[in-house]
Amino acid sequence: MKFTKRVAQAAVPVTLMLLAAPTPAFAEESAGGASILIPNMAEFIPALIAFLIIFFALAKLAWPKVLGMMDERSQRIEDSLKAAEDANAVAHEKRREAEQIVADARRQASDIVLEARRDAEAERARIIGQAHDEASAVVARAHENIEEERRAVYASSSATIANLAVSVASKIIGESLDENEQRNLIEKYMDEVGSLNG
Amino acid sequence: MDAFEKLPEEINHLVSEFSSAPVVGDLTVGLTQYSFWLLVAAVVFVAIIAVFVKKQTLVPKGVFVNGVEYLIEYVESDVAKGVVGSGWRRHFPFLATVFFFILVNNFIGLIPGMKPGTGAIGCTAALALVTFVYFVYFGCKKHGVIGYLKSLAPEGVAFPMNVFVWVIEVFSLLLRPITLAIRLFCNMFAGHIVMGSFSIMATIFAEPLLEHFSAMNAVGALPSLAWIAILIIIYAVELIVAFVQAYVFTVLAAVYIQIAESEGH
Repeated sequence: MKFTKRVAQAAVPVTLMLLAAPTPAFAEESAGGASILIPNMAEFIPALIAFLIIFFALAKLAWPKVLGMMDERSQRIEDSLKAAEDANAVAHEKRREAEQIVADARRQASDIVLEARRDAEAERARIIGQAHDEASAVVARAHENIEEERRAVYASSSATIANLAVSVASKIIGESLDENEQRNLIEKYMDEVGSLNG
Repeated sequence: MDAFEKLPEEINHLVSEFSSAPVVGDLTVGLTQYSFWLLVAAVVFVAIIAVFVKKQTLVPKGVFVNGVEYLIEYVESDVAKGVVGSGWRRHFPFLATVFFFILVNNFIGLIPGMKPGTGAIGCTAALALVTFVYFVYFGCKKHGVIGYLKSLAPEGVAFPMNVFVWVIEVFSLLLRPITLAIRLFCNMFAGHIVMGSFSIMATIFAEPLLEHFSAMNAVGALPSLAWIAILIIIYAVELIVAFVQAYVFTVLAAVYIQIAESEGH
């Protein structure tokens, strides 16, 4: 009870103080009185001086540096992010280019392969054709040669046979036939036989 | 209860201890216990900032640098940029100094045995006066002295009324430093009185038990535990109050600066 009474006693002057304009006089009252809201010069002056000194000193020496560092940091971060973004974009572009190049190369390669195959096909056909031609030429020439040989052999053998026949016949008959007549006869015969063989 | 009998006397004693008493000189020229701790806080503050400036690097490292930087960034973005707006850079040094000055003082006061420099009206009045002069100065710089005085009255009010409004505005302007000073002082002062009261209560109730151990005294000392629990909670609240009051003072200073520099209102 006593306590609440005292609190009430203390509260009244404080409330009055809060409501009233600054009261004059540095009235030295008991603790908790109105004097509590009157600044003591012993507190006001040191606080004022200390604060002002600190304020001017820090405003000159500390805060610009601190802010500068923080600004520089955010600037750096911004720059780094931007640089990273740019690098990323460049990388993307490069990759796209590379992919383009690879695709081109692939297409070209397949084109080349296709062309080569077509060329090879043509070359093969050409070579085969040529070989065919050569082969048939060789065969034809061989045929010709054979024919010629045959003809020569035949000519020489028919002459020999005619001579042989004439001499044999003249031997048998003992009478000389008209040699030229005989020969013509035989040769005519041989021709007939040859044409049959022909 | 014996303990309750003693209480008013003890609390009265406590309150008287909280009123300014000169350590050196007298109350007009000298140092009181509050101004002594204020100077201690000032030294601590300067030391913290000096160490911080030295240690601050582009990539912040360590709890100390990061912690201080967190608070600085808080003042920068929430108070300076958020309230003052585009001209924040010019006023940041003042706002940051005010904020940290009060914050360090408040926290110094929370260490048992020490007093908050801001627990004396003289100190908070000094801060409030500096703030008042600061924003009036920038208001006059921006609008000219006449322009600033004119800007106190809102535009677009007809002749007889605007004089009346102007008078009211002048009063509210003059009340700003007073409210700034009293708000901060009362919060710190009252918080410490409450904490002191509960610690005294905890001691008074436990005293008989410490002097003579008996079952009766032990039961009588039980409320001490409750007082200590409340004391711890109040201490936690005071930690928050220490921060909030520094913040409130700084935000209001920023608001006043913003108003002083704004184009009419």
